[in-house]
Amino acid sequence: MTASSSALNPPRQSAATASPDDIFAAAQSLRWEVGRDFHQELMEAIYTDAARIADRVVTRPEQKPRFDLDRTIDRLVTSRLWGFPIMIGLFTLVFWITISGANVPSGLLNDLLIGLIHPWLKGLAAAAGLPWWLDGLLIDGIYLATAWVVAVMLPPMAIFFPLFTLLEDFGYLPRLAFNLDALFKRSGAHGKQALSMMMGFGCNAAGVIATRIIDSPRERLIAILTNNFALCNGRWPTQILIASIFIGALVPSYLAGIVSALAVVGIAVLGVLLTFLVSAFLSRTWLRGEVSTFSLELPPYRPPRIWQTIYTSLIDRTIYVLWRAIVFAAPAGAVIWLVANVTVGGAPLAVHIVRLLDPVGVLIGLNGVILLAYVIAIPANEIVIPTVLMLTVLMTGTQGAGAGVMFELESQADTLALLQAGGWTLLTGVNLMLFSLLHNPCSTTIFTIYKETGSRKWAAVSALLPLTIGFIVTFFVAQVWRLAAGV
Amino acid sequence: MPDPLLSLLLALFIAALLAGLFWPQWGLYHRLQRQRRQDDRVLREDALKHLHRAQRYGRRPTLQSLAGDLQISLNRAAHLLEEMAQLGLVGVGNGDLALTPAGAAAALHIIRAHRLWELYLAEHTGFEETEWHGRAEQLEHAMAPDDLEALALQLGNPTHDPHGDPIPDAAGQYVAHGGQPLTTLAPGERGQIVHLEDEPEVVYAQLAALGLHPGQRVEVIERSAGRVRFWANGDEHVLAPLLALNISVQPLPEPAAAPAPIVGERLSDLRPGEWGEVTAISRACRGSDRRRLLDLGVLPGARVQAAFASPGGDPTAYLIRDTLIALRRDQAGMISVVKSQ
Repeated sequence: MTASSSALNPPRQSAATASPDDIFAAAQSLRWEVGRDFHQELMEAIYTDAARIADRVVTRPEQKPRFDLDRTIDRLVTSRLWGFPIMIGLFTLVFWITISGANVPSGLLNDLLIGLIHPWLKGLAAAAGLPWWLDGLLIDGIYLATAWVVAVMLPPMAIFFPLFTLLEDFGYLPRLAFNLDALFKRSGAHGKQALSMMMGFGCNAAGVIATRIIDSPRERLIAILTNNFALCNGRWPTQILIASIFIGALVPSYLAGIVSALAVVGIAVLGVLLTFLVSAFLSRTWLRGEVSTFSLELPPYRPPRIWQTIYTSLIDRTIYVLWRAIVFAAPAGAVIWLVANVTVGGAPLAVHIVRLLDPVGVLIGLNGVILLAYVIAIPANEIVIPTVLMLTVLMTGTQGAGAGVMFELESQADTLALLQAGGWTLLTGVNLMLFSLLHNPCSTTIFTIYKETGSRKWAAVSALLPLTIGFIVTFFVAQVWRLAAGV
Repeated sequence: MPDPLLSLLLALFIAALLAGLFWPQWGLYHRLQRQRRQDDRVLREDALKHLHRAQRYGRRPTLQSLAGDLQISLNRAAHLLEEMAQLGLVGVGNGDLALTPAGAAAALHIIRAHRLWELYLAEHTGFEETEWHGRAEQLEHAMAPDDLEALALQLGNPTHDPHGDPIPDAAGQYVAHGGQPLTTLAPGERGQIVHLEDEPEVVYAQLAALGLHPGQRVEVIERSAGRVRFWANGDEHVLAPLLALNISVQPLPEPAAAPAPIVGERLSDLRPGEWGEVTAISRACRGSDRRRLLDLGVLPGARVQAAFASPGGDPTAYLIRDTLIALRRDQAGMISVVKSQ
């Protein structure tokens, strides 16, 4: 730092006679002599000193053998040849374990909470002589919505999150971000977005929280705003049901399974493509001036601590997300029951709203029932289909579980028959699949985005952006479809 | 059900309408905004800058040069000058346009605002360096003196903007960068870049694309009427003399006395397995980017190994202070190293 020596020379006026203003003026003129980047040089010098001191006093245990093993694993998982197959294999395995492992506990919980406890509560209420509306609001509305969310949401999350955390703990996930960074860089995003996106396939709220690992402000906002394009666990059942009853039915029965599975995967892939497209759009428009840096630490591998991981991921992620979902599901259950039971002018409120929404719904190839279901089932995507079925029964006057009581049908043929009675066509099915991918995130996620960004504006953007894309896409699909079909 | 063809056409019409209104650059909304920027105050301030620049470089400002610089008609320029003369900012001494002392002070205020904003954009935002000048042109207007001082304080009362231009202090004092055009160096001579001219944007974009920044050292290899060939930033560059004029340098002592070779390597040049010792981080790496590298321990004297590249070739993992850190190629390109065993 030769430049600073001139600054240390005695001031041009003696200290005894100088007024503060003179000192400021002298300091100001000396600024021109100390060199332009003296702030930078000072900072660099401090860092260098700190590093030298640390080198002298910190002793490190010898870690040579572990280190070589780490390098060997690194060479393998980041190699051109094996990097991507290993990644695809691992994640197929994780998803397969999640889906197949969640079926049984989900069924059990469903039998217990909805099949057993719900009728028992109804019986209890009848014995206690509760008025019908209180019984309906509390048990058919609030209890049922909450129980539904728990039964459908809890098992996959309790499996997916610990598996994901194990991979994280082992040290594989940073390598995944490393491998995929080139892909994300093109859309102005960070490689770590791959991780929050994967987490989003489990739950978007958890995915939004997972963006905390991205330390660059711009890339983090991009990851938060696009997380909804990862098809979450709550939407897979809707996709699978609609794909099997509408798209699987188009082909011979021996092909039905594979074709409907391909349709669902197609929707998920569309979501991934949109993630990149929207990321690129955001980084080139609204988020252009945000500060952006990159660094990615590749920590050493270590054997996963299995019990600790399961415990922390259950507490941190699963219980947290579930609790928030319940908090939002309970009032929504009340709203769902109320719109079906409060009558205005002889018809339930829901019927009036559906008729109001129908023109818009039909224009974009859906219908009023679906739009209303997406409005009142905003707390959780899991209860969209039960709400749709309940509302369809209400509109068509066929036999269901009762006004305001959500239900699902055992057989797919019965579901199809009910929906067709409600005026559904193949186009409705396809557009519902698209709309299920492209609509606002659930209220839990929106609230989480608000918490994470601390900004109402970004929470609003995260809700309206996918919704707008959803309306545009379904609108164009519907019009082109109708033109092609000559309807 | 509405007629699909009709709704489709209607939707396309609405889309075209929205595009016409909000498309970047030529959309109606942006045009109107640009127009609003042309209001009298902005024009006046731009005129002050034009006159100051002309005086500084010893050129004679004219009505024509003013109209050309501000992209307004001659009539409007004449009207503008009349107005400024009434405000006591411009005087017409012996037939030439000249700033009055009040005009000169106002001009320095606006130049200070411009350069402080350029530095702010460089240090605290993610905008590309080619955008700094244009954005500062918009931000510099309507800055109250107090706001300007707050900005200066936030930036640590800097003396130079990212292009090497001196920032006048609150009293309007500054020391010129004192460089000479690169074209004045003879082959074999070395210099340090002190200033890059940021106007016009097309020219500056070419200099920025070469990765040139104030603080870098250059060595001229060949100089002819058609081109200037020189070493800088670890690469050999060729520029037309007209472009090279926009680079100002301060001559350095003879090569023998220079401590380190200019022909250095960058971290991004290391092949997997190779070690290097960091010599410097480029001045182009600023703000949070630079702090991040320092946090990670990328400091002059640190030994770094290129460990392995990702399947796509970018980013690459580097071993820094016993930790594997992945850096992208453009970041690693900002770090100068000397290869070691």
